[in-house]
Amino acid sequence: MLLEIDHLCLSFGGLKATNDVTMHMEAGKINGIIGPNGAGKTTFFNQISGVYKPDSGTITFDGKRIDGLKPYQINEAGIARTYQVINLFRKMSVIENVMVGMHPRLRSNFFDSLLHNKKQREEEKNAREKAMELLEFVGLEQYANEQAGALSYGQQRLLEIVRGLASDPKLILLDEPAAGMNSAEKVELNTLLRKILARGVTILIVEHDMKLMMDISDRIFVLNYGQKLAEGTPAEIQKNPDVIAAYLGGDDE
Amino acid sequence: MLLQILVSGFVLGCVYGLIALGYSLIYKSSGLMNFVQGDVLTLGAFLGYTFFSVLGMPYWLALICTIAVAFAFGMCMERFVIRKLLSRGVLAIYIVLATIAIQYILQNTIQAIWSTKMLSYPQIFSIPSVKIGGVMVQCESIFCIIMSFLSMFGLQAFMKYTRFGTAMRASAMDAKAAQACGINTSLSTGISWGLAAGMAALAGILLGPIYGVFIMLGSTIGRKGFAAAIMGGYGNMYGAILGGILLGVVETMVAGYLSSTYKDMIAYALLLLFLFVKPTGIFNERAITE
Repeated sequence: MLLEIDHLCLSFGGLKATNDVTMHMEAGKINGIIGPNGAGKTTFFNQISGVYKPDSGTITFDGKRIDGLKPYQINEAGIARTYQVINLFRKMSVIENVMVGMHPRLRSNFFDSLLHNKKQREEEKNAREKAMELLEFVGLEQYANEQAGALSYGQQRLLEIVRGLASDPKLILLDEPAAGMNSAEKVELNTLLRKILARGVTILIVEHDMKLMMDISDRIFVLNYGQKLAEGTPAEIQKNPDVIAAYLGGDDE
Repeated sequence: MLLQILVSGFVLGCVYGLIALGYSLIYKSSGLMNFVQGDVLTLGAFLGYTFFSVLGMPYWLALICTIAVAFAFGMCMERFVIRKLLSRGVLAIYIVLATIAIQYILQNTIQAIWSTKMLSYPQIFSIPSVKIGGVMVQCESIFCIIMSFLSMFGLQAFMKYTRFGTAMRASAMDAKAAQACGINTSLSTGISWGLAAGMAALAGILLGPIYGVFIMLGSTIGRKGFAAAIMGGYGNMYGAILGGILLGVVETMVAGYLSSTYKDMIAYALLLLFLFVKPTGIFNERAITE
């Protein structure tokens, strides 16, 4: 198992945002997390990526405990993420955004940077080439030198995903990547996710769009009121009476 | 006369520029103001004097050691005071006040170590001055201008073209996203404070040989550097330099052609004028709306 989450708990005051959640995810799969609004999906994500520290329970990634580490350490361990609200470096160029994403994989240190020596220059050159290759991967290469903030919404989403891929992660967490996309863009997203998987990157995705999730996920986990309600293949989930009840009787959906 | 005034204006302006760059760096990385800058300049002048004249180091070594000590001071200040306060959720204005407290503590510490009497650097260069365009210019002044420009362009290149500089810019733009990209944002912030202090100390060791070293050397310069940063466009690196030179030249012109009694009055009137007419400064940096 690539990611093993066991008995994870986190409370905010009296609210149990994550309540004894156990999920095990295989490498090379698209794992989806669904759940009604307020089910605790993003909170759950934020514990994996280190934004929140769980109260108890363990998160094991690729055989190593990562719960309680800082976000940048978790990225170094091989987990990249995107945010629900786009978080690009808007005033930097598109290619610079990707190069920032490579930060933990570059080896030159602060003093190499300061002296701008040969090691640093070579690395810089390789990084630029790799960034271009990644931009081509999502079809943004012609915008490489434009300001990231000038891209269209859908392009910004793509750039954020590419920036995540730049750190050569084993796992990428995508928090509602289809939010604000039109149906054509959603079809493209579907293809892109398969391409990402083909690069050897496992995907964990949180998404509201039920139809999209059923189409793309290999395995689905359902959260409700901070607890795991069910897990299984999309077909199994669609037939699960608890899931149907949660969605039909749900508060907001 | 004019050339001489321009040279001293440039020397002063470069020093303001170095201080203003520090303000910009800290504002960009933490969104804060650090009023210790001026007194770090004083510290730099005293440290440089001690390394060079008391311990007998070569000037270049004294320069490096001074910057290194100030860099460590800046980083420690960020780590042990500023970050501690931030993690308690203290409002930004109180943190700015804390920097004023540290300013006076530092000033007093310097006084306790080196006393209040004025010190002068021994001769640094084998020739004291050179003749340019018919006027004698102190070698220290030329050195001050050259070093300031080198460090300003060096910093700009560092921020723009190196991995660490890019990481620092990324942390300043969006800390959350930078962390998700594997950047240790607290380290970046610490380095920004360290660099700001290092530049202030550099200004001190450059200015000390020209103005002499005394306890109040940095306090007015610290405030003027702040004014320079605003005139250039608060948070803008080029603006910091240009604002500094503008202020330095205007001030020396006033002192040279009118009277030095009016120089501060005019300098601060210029600041007020900027605040009313162009608060975003020469480089139109929208620090306020951000």
